[in-house]
Amino acid sequence: MEQSLRLTVKPQWDEIENARIEVGAYLQSQGLMRDAVHSLTMVISELIENGIKYGSFTGPEDAIAVDIHRNGDTTTVEVINPLNIKDKAARNHLTKLDKTIQWIRGYQDPFEAYVEKLKEVSRRPLKDEESGLGLVRIAYEGKSILDFFVSEEGSLNVSAVSHFRGDNHEKD
Amino acid sequence: MYPETNNAHAHDLQMDLVTASNEVIPIFGKRASKYSLWIRFSNGHKFKDGEEFAKLIVPVNGDSAKLGPCRLLSEPNIDGYAGRITFIDDFFDFDNLLSNHKIVKLQSEFLNLPMVLAHKDNITREFKDYTSNLNYDCNVYKNLFDKLDLEYQGEPEDVKKLVQRAIIDSEGKTFLRFIDENLQKLEKIVKNFSKEEHERHGFYLRKQLWNIIMCSAFMARTNLKPRGYSGDSEMMRMIYANEYEGFSTFSKLLNKHPLNQPAAQAVRNRRIIVAGKLNEIKNSRQYHADGKCRVLSVACGPAFELKDIFVSPDDCDAFHFTLLDQDKSALLEASVLVDQIEKSLGRALETKYLNESVRTMLVTSDLHEKWGRFDFIYSMGLFDYLTPPVAAAVLKKLYQLLAPGGEMVIGNYHVSNSNRYYMEYWLDWVLYYRSDSEFKALLGDAPGAHMDVTFDDTGVQMFLDVKKNRANA
Repeated sequence: MEQSLRLTVKPQWDEIENARIEVGAYLQSQGLMRDAVHSLTMVISELIENGIKYGSFTGPEDAIAVDIHRNGDTTTVEVINPLNIKDKAARNHLTKLDKTIQWIRGYQDPFEAYVEKLKEVSRRPLKDEESGLGLVRIAYEGKSILDFFVSEEGSLNVSAVSHFRGDNHEKD
Repeated sequence: MYPETNNAHAHDLQMDLVTASNEVIPIFGKRASKYSLWIRFSNGHKFKDGEEFAKLIVPVNGDSAKLGPCRLLSEPNIDGYAGRITFIDDFFDFDNLLSNHKIVKLQSEFLNLPMVLAHKDNITREFKDYTSNLNYDCNVYKNLFDKLDLEYQGEPEDVKKLVQRAIIDSEGKTFLRFIDENLQKLEKIVKNFSKEEHERHGFYLRKQLWNIIMCSAFMARTNLKPRGYSGDSEMMRMIYANEYEGFSTFSKLLNKHPLNQPAAQAVRNRRIIVAGKLNEIKNSRQYHADGKCRVLSVACGPAFELKDIFVSPDDCDAFHFTLLDQDKSALLEASVLVDQIEKSLGRALETKYLNESVRTMLVTSDLHEKWGRFDFIYSMGLFDYLTPPVAAAVLKKLYQLLAPGGEMVIGNYHVSNSNRYYMEYWLDWVLYYRSDSEFKALLGDAPGAHMDVTFDDTGVQMFLDVKKNRANA
């Protein structure tokens, strides 16, 4: 039986915490263990943060949509933000996103991607403020498979699929 | 910067050395080697060989990097440099610092060492024993085969080939059986693991067997992924060739083993199945009344199947091909293949190349007006990498591109793939597996769609066959 939750999040930094609380309560109500709830709320925070950073918000009604579907042990999180595909920076972001996600998913164990990314971060230019660790954390700490597409409406849909068992099955 | 007149000083940068007593000594410095700087003192300071300094302050891109401690290696030279500065604890890479404005320590590789070492902590005892025995046995086999190779290396080339063939057919078969048996053992040990446990144990196995894995050109490529993704055209070429490739008998055997598996056979089978489908369409003549059959290959790669589709000049008149891939080099390889076919058949092929990512092509709402509609769409080796939200969006878009009466065949490895653990643990090749019902559910209730799920002979490769009613535009 599929269960789902949809949130609308304003593209403001302090909205992330509100979303975390709401999502956390929903996931707990679904019988997920504390570690799984912690992982998934981290995933959602990172994705919303990316949505705020790279989304195109032109009017007061523009927002980030967060969809969470639970089907058996599978949880799918989709974070959708408007995107101005004609903007060069947005297109560059998509190219980088595509490359990064394929790179992360090229490893059976996302731990390897995490270690590589940490090395890269330790070598980043002095004035580079973007670590690029967020997506790798989603894969490794969030135990999720990342993917994305751009919809006909011009929205960027980034998804994370994870398999967490309910509290009766989770291992110690 | 002070004005410089000596050419040898043209690349000098103004820097500061800070002594243990916090005295700041202005210097000029330039790269001497990756891990050392030539320095000269601008205010006539003199320091003895081996003098230690608390810090070196280097201007970097409008900022400054404070590095240290460091030591003077006195090497006065005719250009006026007093000697070299090298570091004492952390060795910084001056190439990266001065050219790329990055602070890179020689020892930075060690930063993650505790974390990597700790990654083995949750490996089960049974798996550790299994991997240890496997590694030992593989090395014993390797040494034996290498020793045999040495025995006949002085023989004439023809003789060498015959001897090696005989070894492959005798002891080689024993080794291949040994790998088979160990894969069965692997499945027994890991079949109830969670995703996270698979990942961790796979990492452990590859670390233990890395030197063995690297002996196989195919396994090396799947692990190293030089193009940034699994299943690139070179891997496909290796699968199609299905040969004993390698620099030694052992590497040939280890290269051949994964290529003999059902998962690899499925790749070879799907190529034949696509060609067969198109041959049926050509023979049915159902598209020919108003022109050629318009075909779209999604994530086409090098499109080796074109060799099986275009076998006679008539075939060139039957199809118009659109080849779509995100990898430019794969499209280039496909275009070279098209040229070869044209030359061998003496007829031009109608082919269009689209360098697009399926993940971003969806943004174009009127794609069917831009590209036209297609009578036959196929995609092999793409959906195995798409998670359900993306797979569903792509499949729906492809269905929109399908002409009324058209057919779409999409491949995906089935969840029951018997080589799953081999691929994941040894090859570091992870797919998104689906069951029949999950595959069908991706398209939802698309209007006018008739769906069927079929399998190749191995049962590993699943096809979603979608036919669109003639009435549905």
